[in-house]
Amino acid sequence: MKHRMVVLVALVLAYGAVPLLLGSMDYVMSLIIAALTIGGVALAWALLGNLGGLVSFGHAAFFGVGAYTSAILVVDHHWPVLLAMVAGGVGAAVASVATMPALRLRGPYFALAILAYGHIFRILAVEATSLTGGAAGMLSIPGFPTLLGINLASKTGAYALILTIVLLFAWLYGLIRRSTYGLALRAMHDSELATRVVGVPSTHLKAAMLVISAFMTGVVGAFNAHQINFLDPEYAFASSWTVLPIAAAIFGGYRTVWGPVLGALVVFLVDQLVFKELMPSGHQLVFGVLLGGMVILGPHGLLPLLGRWSKKEASHAGA
Amino acid sequence: MLELILQALYSGLLAGGYYAMIALGLALVFGTMRIINLAHGELVLLAAYVAFEMERSFGWTPLASIPVALVVVGLTALVIYLLIGRIRQDRELNSLILTFGIAIVLTNLILMIWSADIRSTSNSWFMDGVVLGDTLFSMRGEVIFCVIGVLLLAATYWWLNHTWQGRALRAVASNRDAAKLMGVNPARIEALSFLVSGVLATFAGVAVYTASVVFPAVGHNLTIKAFVITVLAGMGSVPGVLLGAVLIGVGETLTTTLAKPSLQELTGMVIFLLILFLRPSGLFGRKGMVKK
Amino acid sequence: MLELDAITMRFGGLTALHAMSLSVAEGETLGLVGPNGAGKTTLFNVISGVYAPSGGTIRFGGQDVGALPQWKRARVGIGRTFQIPQPMRELTVRENLRVAQRFGAGKEDPAALDEILDLLGLAHKQHADAATSLALTEQKALEVGKALAVRPRLLMLDEVLGGLEMATKRTFARTLETVRARFGLTMVIIEHDIETIKALCPRVVVLNFGQLIADGTPEAVFNDPQVIRSYTGDTPA
Repeated sequence: MKHRMVVLVALVLAYGAVPLLLGSMDYVMSLIIAALTIGGVALAWALLGNLGGLVSFGHAAFFGVGAYTSAILVVDHHWPVLLAMVAGGVGAAVASVATMPALRLRGPYFALAILAYGHIFRILAVEATSLTGGAAGMLSIPGFPTLLGINLASKTGAYALILTIVLLFAWLYGLIRRSTYGLALRAMHDSELATRVVGVPSTHLKAAMLVISAFMTGVVGAFNAHQINFLDPEYAFASSWTVLPIAAAIFGGYRTVWGPVLGALVVFLVDQLVFKELMPSGHQLVFGVLLGGMVILGPHGLLPLLGRWSKKEASHAGA
Repeated sequence: MLELILQALYSGLLAGGYYAMIALGLALVFGTMRIINLAHGELVLLAAYVAFEMERSFGWTPLASIPVALVVVGLTALVIYLLIGRIRQDRELNSLILTFGIAIVLTNLILMIWSADIRSTSNSWFMDGVVLGDTLFSMRGEVIFCVIGVLLLAATYWWLNHTWQGRALRAVASNRDAAKLMGVNPARIEALSFLVSGVLATFAGVAVYTASVVFPAVGHNLTIKAFVITVLAGMGSVPGVLLGAVLIGVGETLTTTLAKPSLQELTGMVIFLLILFLRPSGLFGRKGMVKK
Repeated sequence: MLELDAITMRFGGLTALHAMSLSVAEGETLGLVGPNGAGKTTLFNVISGVYAPSGGTIRFGGQDVGALPQWKRARVGIGRTFQIPQPMRELTVRENLRVAQRFGAGKEDPAALDEILDLLGLAHKQHADAATSLALTEQKALEVGKALAVRPRLLMLDEVLGGLEMATKRTFARTLETVRARFGLTMVIIEHDIETIKALCPRVVVLNFGQLIADGTPEAVFNDPQVIRSYTGDTPA
């Protein structure tokens, strides 16, 4: 009951208070939209990392494929934008099927094989000029439509859209996590053998997580393409789409559902508002420090640390 | 056409010399610590920028800056080693994230100090043409560093097989516990492997700066290239690394000649994926990357 | 029910099983004994699909299961335990069984889980963390419970009574007998304690150096001079 109240209040704040208070500040809204975009990818990355037990260094590949699929469908085939975004997710999911042979590799090799795929997809996007416009990219990609009287192309509308996407993904993630599939996937971390002898098709389940994670990333990539109305291979497959979500997920704690999203908000906003001002070039350095620091100091992320701390506070207050 | 192909083979062969130096450094650390140092390419890059700085500020020839680069890169390698030592759990994966982070830090430091401009030696002596036979063309720098690379590889091979430290290193790589029983301290050997890897990276970095061009993003590409080569070599044999390096070098130059330059990067990736899927123990090795 | 024909298992230069043939009839309880390193656990690993044998065929319920992956062998009805218990960490006892039931037996059935938990004396610990809060006997019971939750027809127990005290061992052996009768199981049991084997298994098979050296009633087998020699450390003639 209390849990429900918290969720309800959070929803009212997210959908109501944020646009009302900040809606007039275009720059701030742009930052929040970008942070949620990264949060969406971070969520997808964490789903694969936490439930699939697979660390990927190549989510930029799925982001880029999703972005291009959707943009091409809208520009060349005049699909409606929202439908094309879902197709972008499907495109990324299909691309992930191509990466599946990598599933039989041990952890580090999987991570790097996915990285290789990212590079291959980028080069293909440059080369397939007739389809993608090559290195010059695609200009004036149509933006979001008006839905139920809300202009999704406005800053506030785009915010509501990406917020909804992220919330839906988080809900789906939670659903999987609580199911017997989620239980089996969690069990596979430490004892894959123990799960296999009781009939768990562990490789199939990992593959399923890979496809779902790729789908989510593809949808977010598509969202991004229609939001900024522009794409080129360097941008769509940029390593930032891999680095930022990993930093966010690890910072927020990738074993939780909300950690990656909150991590993205904190990491990205602090970077843009503070570090970018201090160090105009090379401020990505901060993410490197963050990744290294988290691995050494708090392998379970920052949120769990905060959680423990606030629990302690609460018990003191209660006493 | 034949001439072009021969020229491509020759250029690829020369590139293989310094690719091998980069890859062997990565492979050594992998051998002793079971860690893929994703910041390895940045170590190479760091050496290249030290050579650039020495040339710009004091007019030194790249060869003269090697001792300075050795100190800088060696110290950085040791810092990476010490940081990896702080990892408490799941070292195989966490070290990947840690060294990924270190790579980002180094790239951005280089970007901040030396900007994103493309740099290469302005020393014309290294850029003079050397013609082999009547047709095969190369720059003097390419030939010199290919020779240095092969010599360094041979030296490392000899060191691994004929010195006490080298044998200890191989012992740690093949069976850590047995090595301990033989009185080898694995921590010291790991540090040693990082140092040797740093030495190789230093020479490779000066080679890249002299025979090719550098800019901050190159480090990432070099790491991937080195990783691809070690995968080809099956993680751990020196002759395998050399063969893998030549294969990648030749593959790249052939792609450039027969298809187009923009596909060059694809060559390594495609070879890498083919090997992973068709022959996961590597072309020349036995140790597997596939789950048991 | 289970027919092994000329199963050979080589690891590099070492041959762990030499062209072994064995058949187990439906409803039988078979004791598998032999000195350490004789190949008993290797045989379990081959039957349950952890290893692919170097040669030979495995038929289960008339079907050739040799090519089935590990998880499918569980689904056709081969359940097994591990000598060193392999609880699914991060999960509770009940969640362990839920996963086994959902994937091994195909659908969830809470009532059946309750019965298994009751039979094995784990009901009071069902919400406890499987990796950290179980005593040795309970860990062994969970090991059996997971195997039962897949609704096996054949249950292979690898030293599930090993390391237990005598009194506990007897109670546990009785539990196994109850479980066998309740679910109509065929069982293969690896066990070092001869008294336990005599109590549970009408038929005993002895392995040594990867070969089957005796097959018969406990009385006959344990009086066989070759079997006695194998335990005193002589190599087979």
